[in-house]
Amino acid sequence: MPGTNVRRTPADLPAPEVPDLHRYRLRRTEGEVTSYVGMIIFLGSWAMMFAALFFAYAVVRLRAPMWPPPDQPALPILVPGLNTAVIAASSLAVVLASRAHALGRHRRASIGLGVAAGLGALFLGLQILVWVGVWRAGLLPSGGPYPSAFYALTAFHALHVLVGLAALGVLAIRARPPRGTTRSAVRLWGMFWHFVGAVWVALYVAVYLV
Amino acid sequence: MSTAAQALAEAAQPIHPPPTSFWRQYVFSIDHKVIAKQFLWAGLLFLLVGGTLAMLIRWQWAYPYRPVPVIGQLFLRENGGVIGPATYQQIFTTHGLIMIFFAVTPVLIGCFGNFLIPLMIGARDMAFPKLNMYSFWTFLLSQLLVLASFFTDLGSAGAGWTTYPPLSTNVGTPGPGQTLVVAAIFVTGVSSTMGAINYVTTVIRMRAPGMGYMRLPLTMWGLWLTAILNALFVPVLGSAALLLLLDRNFGTQFFVAGASAVRGGGDPILFQHLFWIFGHPEVYILILPAWGILGDVIPFFARKPHHWYKGTVWAMVIVTVLSAMVYGHHMFMTGMSPLLGEGFMLFTLLISAPSMVVVLNWALTLWRASIRFDTPMLFALATVFVFGVGGLTGLFLADISMDLYLHDTMFVVGHFHFTMAAASFIGAMTGVYFWFPKIFGRKLDERLGKAHFWFTFVGITLVFAGQLLAGYAGQQRRLFDPFQYTFIQGLRGLNRWTSFFAFALFAGQFIFVWNFFKTLFGKAVPAGENPWQVTTLEWTATGSPPPFHNFDRIPEVVRGPHEFSNPEVRRLTGRDFAGQSEVLPGSAGPALAAARG
Amino acid sequence: MTAAPLPEHGYGLPHDVSVDGFRVDELIHFTLAAITVIFVVVAASLIWSFVKHRSGPALYSHGTRGSIGLVVGAVALVLVGVDGNLFIHTLGDMHQYFWNFKSAEAAQGAVLIEVNAHQWSWDARYPGADGRFGTPDDVITTDDIRIPVGVPVVVQLASTDVIHSLYLPNLRVKQDAVPGTITRITFQAKIPGEYEIACAQHCGPNHYKMRAVLTVLAPDAFRNWLADAGEDARRAYDPEDKEAHWGWEWRRFEP
Ligand SMILES: [Cu+2]
Ligand SMILES: [Cu+2]
Repeated sequence: MPGTNVRRTPADLPAPEVPDLHRYRLRRTEGEVTSYVGMIIFLGSWAMMFAALFFAYAVVRLRAPMWPPPDQPALPILVPGLNTAVIAASSLAVVLASRAHALGRHRRASIGLGVAAGLGALFLGLQILVWVGVWRAGLLPSGGPYPSAFYALTAFHALHVLVGLAALGVLAIRARPPRGTTRSAVRLWGMFWHFVGAVWVALYVAVYLV
Repeated sequence: MSTAAQALAEAAQPIHPPPTSFWRQYVFSIDHKVIAKQFLWAGLLFLLVGGTLAMLIRWQWAYPYRPVPVIGQLFLRENGGVIGPATYQQIFTTHGLIMIFFAVTPVLIGCFGNFLIPLMIGARDMAFPKLNMYSFWTFLLSQLLVLASFFTDLGSAGAGWTTYPPLSTNVGTPGPGQTLVVAAIFVTGVSSTMGAINYVTTVIRMRAPGMGYMRLPLTMWGLWLTAILNALFVPVLGSAALLLLLDRNFGTQFFVAGASAVRGGGDPILFQHLFWIFGHPEVYILILPAWGILGDVIPFFARKPHHWYKGTVWAMVIVTVLSAMVYGHHMFMTGMSPLLGEGFMLFTLLISAPSMVVVLNWALTLWRASIRFDTPMLFALATVFVFGVGGLTGLFLADISMDLYLHDTMFVVGHFHFTMAAASFIGAMTGVYFWFPKIFGRKLDERLGKAHFWFTFVGITLVFAGQLLAGYAGQQRRLFDPFQYTFIQGLRGLNRWTSFFAFALFAGQFIFVWNFFKTLFGKAVPAGENPWQVTTLEWTATGSPPPFHNFDRIPEVVRGPHEFSNPEVRRLTGRDFAGQSEVLPGSAGPALAAARG
Repeated sequence: MTAAPLPEHGYGLPHDVSVDGFRVDELIHFTLAAITVIFVVVAASLIWSFVKHRSGPALYSHGTRGSIGLVVGAVALVLVGVDGNLFIHTLGDMHQYFWNFKSAEAAQGAVLIEVNAHQWSWDARYPGADGRFGTPDDVITTDDIRIPVGVPVVVQLASTDVIHSLYLPNLRVKQDAVPGTITRITFQAKIPGEYEIACAQHCGPNHYKMRAVLTVLAPDAFRNWLADAGEDARRAYDPEDKEAHWGWEWRRFEP
C-alpha cells in the first residue's frame, strides 16, 4: 500500500471536472473537517462531565430514604416540559439557519440564528421562573441533597445555555449580509447548541420526571 | 519535487508569515513551539516550588519541632521558623497538588506534547493554535490561584492532595485557601481539556502523508493516549471540584455527612469515586508520555529497532482502556462491597500484564544492541529501573488483603513516588536532555548532565526506597510527627537518613539549573540538525530550532520510526540510521520504500 | 493500669499479635520473593546487555517470533504464577477471615464494639450486661479499647466529622470510618498485651495525635473489667448528657 492517507480535495485547489459545481462547493474543506472533529472530541469530553454530575445525582438520590423528602416541595413538571419544547424548537431553528447559510442565503441564516437565540433566552426566562417558584416554596440549596442536586444540575446547565445563546446572538448579527459568517462557525455552535439541548432532555427526564 | 499527497498537505496547511510584534512572538504566541517553552518555564518553576515543599516535609521528619533553616526565616517567621501541624498539612497538600498538576503535567504534557506533536507527525502547527494559547493562559491562571492561596487568612489547602471531603469542606478546612486551590484544580482541568482536544485532533487529522498510526514514534502514541485519557477523565475531576466548590460556597450537601449534615446529607465516598475515576487514569496520564519517550530514546541510543513495536503500542492502548476500570483499588478500605472490591482487584492485577510487555520490550531492545550512554540514555535507563520498582511494588497494593495492612502507609507513598514522581520526573528529564538541542538549538553540557544524572538517580532511589521501608514497618502517611507512635520509634534513624538523601537529591537539581542557564545564555555552539543521529521527523526533516512553519516542505513519511542498523541502509548511505522521510539514494523513491514498510 | 505499648525494633513488619495476621504477612513475603526474582532476572539481562553489547554492531531486528514468544510467555508466567496466586489466595482470605463478619459475630463469645471516631480521638462503646447498645449500662471509653484474647472482635465504625481510618498495625488490619455510614472491621488477638491504634487517614492538623491503645486481656480479666466498668457506667449515667449518647442499635448487615 502506498503510504499516503487519501484525503479529500480542498476547495481551493483547482476544481477537477465536476458535473455539479454547486455540490462541489458544499463539500467540507480540510480545515472544516478538522474543526468538526475537534468539536466532537470536545463535546464527548464535556459529556463526561455531565455524565459525572448525573452519576453524583444518582448516588445521592439512591442514598436518600425518600425523594423528594416529605417536607420539601416537589418540582414542577409543566414549565420545564414546555422548556423542552422551547429548546427543541431552538435546535430546529439552528438546523434551518445552517442549511440556509450553506445555500448562501445569509439573510435567512441570520434570522434563523436570531430565532434560536431568542428561544434560548425564553428557555432561560422560564428556568428562572421555575427557580423563583421552588425557592418561594422553601427549597434552598442548603436544604440537603435534594435541593443541592436540583440547583447544581439546572444551574450548571443554564450556564451552558447562556454561553450558547450569547454565541448564537453574536453569530446572528455577524451572519447578516453582505459579509456573512463562516459556515463552520454556524455549524460548530450549532453542534454545541444541540449538545446543550440533548443534555437538557436527559436532565428533564432524570430530575423532573422520574 | 513533491508527491501529490504532499501537495495536498501543503494546500491544507499553507505557510503563514511569522508574527513580528514582540507580544505576538513571545507572549501571546500561537506557535506551538513557543507555547511549549512557556509550559516548560512554568512547569520547571513550580517544580522548584514543589521540591522546596518536599524539603520542608523531610525537614519535619528529620528534625521535628526544630526551626527550618533559611526557608523558615523567610516564610515561617511568626512561628519562629518552626513548622506547626496546621502549616504542615498545607505543605504536604500543596506539595502533592503542585507536583502533579502544576509541575510534572506542564513539563511532560504541556511542553513535550506541544513541542513534539506537530514536529513528530510532520505538521505545521497544532490543529487549533489559538486554543493552544488559551490552554496555556488558563493554566497560568490556575498556577496563580495556587500561589494566591498561600497568602489567604488561614493559609493554603490542607485536606491532602486527594481533597477528600468532609475534611475538604468547610467542616474540616474553612477559609478561602482551600477554595482557591479547588478552583485552581477546576481551572487547570479546563486547561488540560483544551490541550487534550487539540492533541487528539491534531494526531487524527494532521499526520503527514505516509505517517500511518503504526509509523508514529512511540512518543506520539504515549502523548496521544494521554490526551485521550485527559479528554475523558479530567472533566470527571472537574465535576468533583465543581460540586465541592458548591458545597463550600453555596451550602449544598453533596459530600457533607455526619454531624453537620442536613436531611441525611450527601455521601463523602461519592467524591472518592469521582476523584479516582479521574485519579487512577491520572497515573497513566503521567506515565504514558514517559513510556513513549523511553520507547523512542531507548532504540535511538541502542541503535536498534524497537523490539515488537506493535506489541508496545497495543500494550499502551490496553493500559489506557484498563486504567478506567481499576480505580477502586484506592478505596478498598472505605467499606465497599466485597464483590466490587474483588472486581477492582482483578483488573488491577491484570493491568500488570501490558506494563510487563512494555518493560520486557525495552529489555529486548537493549539485547544485542550497540548502546551509546549519553545523558538522555542514562536517564532513560534510570526510568526503566525506577518504573520497574514502582510497578512491582504496586502488586502489594493491588491486593486487598495486603492493602489491609499497607493502605495509607508510607509504602503507598513510596510506591506512587517511584511511578508518578520518579518515573515521570526522570522520564521528563530524559526528554529535556534529548530534545533540548531541538527546542533551543544548543546541546546541554554532557559532563554536568551526567553529574545531575547520578545525583538524581541515586538520590531518588534512596529517598523513595526509604519511604517504602518506613511503610513496610507500618508508618502511616501524612504524619506531622510520626514519633508520637511508639511502634514507629525505631524508624527515627530511617526517616532522618531518608531526609538527608532527599536534601542531596534536591541540591543535585541545581546542577541542572546551572547547566540549563549556562547552555542557554553561555557561549553558543549550535547543536546541528541531528546531533543524536536519529530518525524521527523533527530531527531529520527540519533544523534546530525549527522555523516558525516547522517544515519548509511537509515531509512524506516512508518508513517506521526506528530504522537503525539496517544493513541495506548502511550499504546505500554508510549510516546506521534512516530518517522517517528520507529517500535513500538509488531506491525507486518513496513508493517503493513505503511498500516495504 | 497505664497504657504503655512497647516500641518495635528494626525495620521489619511490626510484631504480629493476631490470629489471622500471618495470612497478610505470608502474602507479603511471597510477593516480596516473587518481585525480587523478577527484578533480578530483568536487571541481570539489562546489565548483561550493557556490558556485553556495549559496542559493536547492533542486531537488526524488529523482534522475531521467538523473542515475541519470550515476552508473551514471561508475561503469562508471571500473570498466572504471581498475580493469579495472589488473587486466589486473597479471595479465600477475605471471604473466610478478614471480611467474614457473619461467622465472626456468630462465634462463641464474640465481642461487639461500637467505635465513634471524631477529631481527634476514638470513642468506644460496649453493650454492657444487657447486651444492647444505647442503654444506660453501656461502657464508654476514650482512646482506650480493651478486648479479650482468642475470640473474634467485631467493631462497627462511625465518624461524626471527617473520614478517619482505624488502623491496628500489630493486627494487620484497617478500616475507614466514614461520616454518614457505618463500616465494619473484625479481628482476633492472639497475644495479650498493649498495642497501638492509629488513625491512617489524614483528618486535620492533629491527625498525628489520633492515637489510642488497644489492650488485649486474658478472658476473665476482660470480663472483670467490663463488669466493673459497667457498674461505674450505670452509676455515672446522665440522661441529660446528649453528647454521650452517640451509640446506635447494632446494625445487622446480613439477613
Ligand atoms: Cu490507582
Ligand atoms: Cu483521624
